Amino acid sequence: MSSHTVVRPPDVRSVQETVRNLSCVWPRGAGTKTALAPPEGAAVLELSQLRGVVDYDPAELTCTVLAGTPVRQVEELLSRHEQYLPFEPPLVSAGATLGGTVAAGLSGPGRYRYGGVRDFVLGVRFVDGQGQLVRAGGKVVKNAAGFDLAKLMVGSVGRLGVLVDLSFKVFPAPRARATLRVDCSTFEQAWGVLRALYGSAFDLEAVDLEPPSTVWIRVAGRPESVPARLRRLQEFVQGGQAVEGEAGVWERAREFRWVPEGWTLVKVGLTLRLLPQVERELASAQTLRRYSVGGNVAWVACPDEAVLSGVLERLGLRGLRVLGPPGPPFLGPRGPDGFGGRVKRALDPAGRFGPGL
Amino acid sequence: MLHEIPVERYGAGGPWMARAVEACVHCGFCLPACPTYRVLGEEMDSPRGRIFLMKEVLEGRLAPSDVAPFVDRCLGCLGCVTACPAGVGYGQLLVPYRELAAAKIRRPWPDRLLRWLVLETLPYPARLRAAWRLARAGAFVAHLLPGRLRGMLDLLPRNLPRSSPRVRVVGPQGPRRARVAVLVGCVQSVLHPEIHEATVRVLARNGVEVVVPDGQGCCGALAMHAGEGARARALARRNLVAFPEDVDAVVTDAAGCGSAMKEYGLLFAGRPEEQQARRLAGRVRDVSEFLHQLGLQPPPSLAARVRAAYHDACHLLHAQGLREEPRRLLGSVGNLELVEPADAEVCCGSAGTYNLEQPEVAQELGQRKARALMATYPDVVVTGNVGCMVQIAAHLRAAGRPVPVLHTVQILDLAYRQQGVPRLA
Amino acid sequence: MDPRRVVEGLRTIYPEGRLLARPAELLPYESDALTAFRARPAAVVLPESREEVVATVRWCYHHGVPFVARGSGTSLSGGSLPVPGGVVIALNRLNRILRLDPEERLAVVEPGVVNLAVSQAAAPFGLYYAPDPSSQPVCTVGGNVAFNSGGAHCLKYGMTSNHVLAIEAVLADGEVVRFGGESLEQVGPDLVGLFVGSEGLFGIALEITLRLVPKPEAYGTVLAAYRSLEAAGEAVARVVASGLLPGAVEIMDRLSIEAAEAAVHAGYPQDAAALLIVELEGEEPEVEAELVQLLEVVRASGAYEIRLARDEPDRQRIWKGRKSAFSAVGRLSPDYLVQDGVVPRTRLGTALAEIERLRQQYGLRVANVFHAGDGNLHPLILYDGRKPGELERAEALAGEILRLCIRLGGSITGEHGVGMEKRQYLAEMFCEADLQVMRRIRQAMDPREIANRGKMFPEPVRTAQPAVAG
Repeated sequence: MSSHTVVRPPDVRSVQETVRNLSCVWPRGAGTKTALAPPEGAAVLELSQLRGVVDYDPAELTCTVLAGTPVRQVEELLSRHEQYLPFEPPLVSAGATLGGTVAAGLSGPGRYRYGGVRDFVLGVRFVDGQGQLVRAGGKVVKNAAGFDLAKLMVGSVGRLGVLVDLSFKVFPAPRARATLRVDCSTFEQAWGVLRALYGSAFDLEAVDLEPPSTVWIRVAGRPESVPARLRRLQEFVQGGQAVEGEAGVWERAREFRWVPEGWTLVKVGLTLRLLPQVERELASAQTLRRYSVGGNVAWVACPDEAVLSGVLERLGLRGLRVLGPPGPPFLGPRGPDGFGGRVKRALDPAGRFGPGL
Repeated sequence: MLHEIPVERYGAGGPWMARAVEACVHCGFCLPACPTYRVLGEEMDSPRGRIFLMKEVLEGRLAPSDVAPFVDRCLGCLGCVTACPAGVGYGQLLVPYRELAAAKIRRPWPDRLLRWLVLETLPYPARLRAAWRLARAGAFVAHLLPGRLRGMLDLLPRNLPRSSPRVRVVGPQGPRRARVAVLVGCVQSVLHPEIHEATVRVLARNGVEVVVPDGQGCCGALAMHAGEGARARALARRNLVAFPEDVDAVVTDAAGCGSAMKEYGLLFAGRPEEQQARRLAGRVRDVSEFLHQLGLQPPPSLAARVRAAYHDACHLLHAQGLREEPRRLLGSVGNLELVEPADAEVCCGSAGTYNLEQPEVAQELGQRKARALMATYPDVVVTGNVGCMVQIAAHLRAAGRPVPVLHTVQILDLAYRQQGVPRLA
Repeated sequence: MDPRRVVEGLRTIYPEGRLLARPAELLPYESDALTAFRARPAAVVLPESREEVVATVRWCYHHGVPFVARGSGTSLSGGSLPVPGGVVIALNRLNRILRLDPEERLAVVEPGVVNLAVSQAAAPFGLYYAPDPSSQPVCTVGGNVAFNSGGAHCLKYGMTSNHVLAIEAVLADGEVVRFGGESLEQVGPDLVGLFVGSEGLFGIALEITLRLVPKPEAYGTVLAAYRSLEAAGEAVARVVASGLLPGAVEIMDRLSIEAAEAAVHAGYPQDAAALLIVELEGEEPEVEAELVQLLEVVRASGAYEIRLARDEPDRQRIWKGRKSAFSAVGRLSPDYLVQDGVVPRTRLGTALAEIERLRQQYGLRVANVFHAGDGNLHPLILYDGRKPGELERAEALAGEILRLCIRLGGSITGEHGVGMEKRQYLAEMFCEADLQVMRRIRQAMDPREIANRGKMFPEPVRTAQPAVAG
């Protein structure tokens, strides 16, 4: 394995200079997404020094932070004002930064209710492939001026630019939560619960399916209404137990504590209808799975990603490698990159952030 | 919208037209309410498109003949008026504009002949009867007629009801609650005289003394909408004279006639008769409006259960703003289940002489209307205008689902007489 | 290119009747809902298939003829204003809902589908399409995508961009591309996010996959009347501070109340200086509990009349009034400019006071109706274009308001887009480097700059020509 030069620019100007001076750079936050590795010959541009909250007024429900700010720091600040990041970024305890969360495009189980990281990013500043500092979007919750490059950065894994700071929408935090655990007898049955919930008017915060057949449902709201809502939910799914210490259940999911050391963890976007087929294929390979966001995401862990890669190719699904040995970010079939390729060439004509997307 | 219309050049209609153009903000809220836009999906066939076009003509930038295809295609249903948040008086632009443009456009002779024939027959019951007899007897010459005229014959019934002698005054049943004059009308009195009879009976049943003034005639709506202002005024003048002032209301049972008479003020704007016209217009009430205001004496239930689909006649809903009134009346009838078809507020394509002059669009709208109505599985279709009745009945028949089409007042009449809705033979 | 040659060229694609070129046919397409701008295209085409759209774009690219895609022409920023001598591609006949999949909660539609039609189609399955611009019975999804339309429920639900899953589009040089997918979670950069709101500068969306959401079980819609606009603004701050997250928070001032009431008889209190509409939505027990708190907050905020929507028709009436407000202002004035600036919510009071001061300074009337929850202002500047200089004054006032929004840390547009109207102000919101990058991306999609040319980007600065001495 090749070693990479690591640069830790102290400020935005140094980020620009680094990008201008080097032929290939790879931005990194805290490096919690261990599987995402720099391209061959790239210098690692570590943003750990660009940390801190730039702007936060609880009455605005918005927050601007430097890209290298740990999510934990932001969440602690928000919670002091009874607010939170509804997309529930993962790997917080591990030290994930907000810049890294955006670049990787990762959201947690709580995404079910109000949307993912893409739905909460309002604006960004980033350094493009020519070392220019670019601002897009804004700090207000509604904004239609100019191209929405803030959203474009979500999931761009450092290939389009180096994020410097980000503005987010935040919400008032629910004062009460409760979790229902529904143990079904088969995967198909658990899948049926997900389908029934997906089409219902229940305002749920998270719905995960843990194979073989357990469904986790989280309700959030006001202390005086949550118990009643939980009961209605129990009637609807005909069973299920309220879980004591429910925070721990979700913490485990959010931090991927269920993933064995050294295994590769891959995020796969899919839809509810595909679940049984995907589960059949994955269960027969050596994998551990957790289906999240009501069946829109599969988190798949495996010791041998070649097998998984084959499965994804067969299913026509793309995956993002998140944890595990460093390597290229994506697995599974690549589509034609007509639109994305043009964006890449416009933002990084010299390929300083690595080839392609 | 800003304009440079030389208002003074256009006489009494000028300020009306200018005001309508001014009020339009081109927001497009009228688009989904416009039947031609729904069918054609083109901006020139939308209300705001036509306002733009008429404005350009009034400003002298386009010739009336340039925009004629699009303004002609307007049904005059005024669906846009109901939908318009800005309060554009579209009808107050369209009617004077058409009169103005009619004088300047030289139309091809078949169009002129058709229009002349229509305007010379429909408003005159005797001529309409004669024409019908001629048409039936002379089926052998039908192929010589232009297609559109043949289309008109297709809408005519196989048999015409006998013309019944006209009663001058009908006394109220019970104590007199009101005294009204009724319009007998023209086309309706030939094709569906039973509506008028039902109106008179229902009014009398509700304690209303009904006067049927002599000397009255066609309200002039057809001519008005065709841009033949002089002809319309000639017809209307007879009514100005015929209708007495000592009545509580002048009641019409054809939505098109009612809305035209309510517009008499505009028709005579700037003319010596204006004040008289305004007074008459102010007394005009649709029969549903009048009965609702008066307070309907609860009718007994219909003899058998029916499912009735209500169709909003444009000139009732959009021109006169009467949505709830007919529904309330029908709602008070036992054994009647009122169902709302999709797009009840969209024109059926009849619109006066429209189905003669724009047969393709009229046909399409008629078919859509029939489909929407059939989807509610009605036993009877109820509406408030004879034109709609003829058009809807024809299209239901063509779709193979003949269902009786009755006027609101006919349903009330059946209930009072404790009968059921007749089945079609 | 000579307009006649444009028409001749397009004749190879379109039959008679779907290629409009006569003056009376072109005229109604000369402007959208911003009538201050007008431009005559060489032709308007009415494609009925995506192949025709692609063929038209390719023809335009080959000949360097600019084109503008148009839906229902409801843009308030001049976004669908034709390019003089260019082609207007009117997409109204591409209005099929290609697939409605209630189980996956998505709809695949053509660009000419009307926004509300999606919700109507989804209604039998308890679903709806959330973005609700005021023009939703009229505007098309294609237009919504181009301008990232908003509506009254953006704080909680986001804008169009948050409800589009996938797009198939023809780029300006004729290449057909697809991006996004049916899952809520994608892998790789958010290309859908970039395309939505690109104001038609990349190309034309041919097929759009929309996300549907379940209709809330319950609504709690509160209408509160205030004696001053400031008091209503203050109430918004209190609602947000209380930890509630309403689906919508709207304010209307005296002029807009008057206009809306005249238009739709919404039953608004007529003597109010300001009306606040707050809507809660969600599960019944939750809405009930929240409503108790909301009513407390609103009562404490000095509202002198508070009404709760009795039933769904009542709720619809309240909304109809609000959504008719823009057009209804046409009753009060022959002309007006609608602004769409955004300020941070806490600066609403400052912004409104400043607008009032400016208004007096300019001697014009301003009606205020806005999405208070998002800080999205819609001052309607009333003027009479026949009075010399009044339009110029109105435009100058509009400009001052936009600068005010930028100064307060907001945006020049919340949901109407930059379009034609605000393009010179984009350069005040973003610096040259920001715009350069955006231009580079545009160039990558549209090397000949033929797609909606002239929109969004400021005109290049022309060096002032010295006056020629006589």
